[in-house]
Amino acid sequence: MRNPWSADLTRRAFLRQTGVCGLLALLPLNWRETVLRPPGSVRDFLARCIRCGKCLEACPYDSIRFLDITAGALIHTPHIDPLRTPCYLCQQRGPDGKDRPISRYLRCGEACPTGAIRRIVNDKEVLAAVPEEMKIGVSVLDRRICLAWQYDSCGECYYNCPLKDKALRDRPPREVITGATGIRPYVDPGHCIGCGMCNYVCPVRRHIAESVMKREVRLSRFEQRYAAMVRNVIGRVGEDVKLPAVRVIMRP
Amino acid sequence: MMAEGKRHRFRIKPPRRLVQLGVIVVLIGVPFYTQNPLEWSPSRIVLGHLPKPRVFPLSGDTWSFSIGGFTLTHPVAFIEEVLSSKVVYQPLLISALIPLVLTLVLGRVFCSWLCPVGFLLELNQKVNSLFRRAGLHLRVRIKDLRYTILALALVLVFFFAFPILSIFDPPHLFGRELMYIFTHGAVSLSGAGLLLGIFLLDLFFAPRVWCRSLCPSGGALSLLGARRLWRIRMDAGRCTHCGYCDEACPYGLEPMGLAEAKGFDWLKCDNCGLCRDVCPTGALSYRFDLKGG
Repeated sequence: MRNPWSADLTRRAFLRQTGVCGLLALLPLNWRETVLRPPGSVRDFLARCIRCGKCLEACPYDSIRFLDITAGALIHTPHIDPLRTPCYLCQQRGPDGKDRPISRYLRCGEACPTGAIRRIVNDKEVLAAVPEEMKIGVSVLDRRICLAWQYDSCGECYYNCPLKDKALRDRPPREVITGATGIRPYVDPGHCIGCGMCNYVCPVRRHIAESVMKREVRLSRFEQRYAAMVRNVIGRVGEDVKLPAVRVIMRP
Repeated sequence: MMAEGKRHRFRIKPPRRLVQLGVIVVLIGVPFYTQNPLEWSPSRIVLGHLPKPRVFPLSGDTWSFSIGGFTLTHPVAFIEEVLSSKVVYQPLLISALIPLVLTLVLGRVFCSWLCPVGFLLELNQKVNSLFRRAGLHLRVRIKDLRYTILALALVLVFFFAFPILSIFDPPHLFGRELMYIFTHGAVSLSGAGLLLGIFLLDLFFAPRVWCRSLCPSGGALSLLGARRLWRIRMDAGRCTHCGYCDEACPYGLEPMGLAEAKGFDWLKCDNCGLCRDVCPTGALSYRFDLKGG
């Protein structure tokens, strides 16, 4: 019998074909600055992800999305875009305002067949103490445009944080604030898992600021409450500021 | 040895079609069942904070499939994951074991029995022959690039350390686009585009050109099944040289040549059984054979 591994191919032809295809394959390499991976992603996430899409299927809130063709070689790897849908950490908020876990483990880690996303126990104590390299990211707060810090009138991020009082506190520790009665949100980077809920609920957004001048932008009740203040606070700092006031950045 | 034989009574094609249809039903049914679009009520959209109800955990497609805690992984996915991460993750190895052994023993049966895109392309042949009769068909011959693309992708996977083969795997693209429709109500440009391209290529250019000469995961399965035990065998005494088997072969291999001990491209054969089914004298049959090609 013929050697099956040769498969009718001379070495020269093989090398030529490989070279041509190689040049074609290298064209769409393209890296994004910020890609937030699902919670529990290990450090060598890209090396392990076979892009099967099971995490996306398992996600109960459809927070996980695929990167599209504009991400080049990262195409079809899972990511979380907190401004569209934040990670709810597999919790459901009841009518009493308390979160209940809806599964024993975070479902994306449960579904991952290759160990790219590790299984994390769905418990607030555990979630607040996830090791640094397995977090989604870390929230950063810009006090210059934060309505709570500037006008003493917000606090949405504090109330909506799934790890309330651990990741987001109502006032910074070891910092004396005089004459303040409201909430002064403070992100504890040690406990913040980067789910992006604060990012999602933060009212300091471009379209809310613009709605004051433009009649055609329709806002919800919740957004109307903050519209004037948002416009003022953005106008005071300048146009080049990054919005919203609290953002998730990639883990270190 | 009889000179006159009879056609095989049991045909492979009907059960094969049934399995292929079953795979398509599963690929549509699993996301439909788990994502439950019937419960996409306005309240869920308005509130935006209700999770999907938990159902029996079924997930995945041909690339990686799980029923409860039991997972099956495509051998190619396992190989590229090992190459890129340089470690063997034990649950992945266990999940890939059954498909890997099946491929080593039975050959490239994934392509003929399970691949949903292969199934649709097989059905496409009827339309294709209509086009051909109308003269709308351009016949293009492409060299077998499967091993080249595969080798290149594996080199990229090894040195750049990310598995890339899934985006060239049409059955996985097919399943994943369906899943994306059910979860996010959208299709991805690249996946749907590649699938559409394959179908158009198949309709207007060469029949099954993707399976014949472009599919990298098919190439990998071919190489894995090179020393398989389950092979087509020819009883030379019964062969009447009618040539039906040569016509039936979707890959243009020539099983009739087996009677004269001619060369046969064992790598490309995916054990679909079409030649065996059409043989009027039953000269072709499958046998477990330790000797190899």
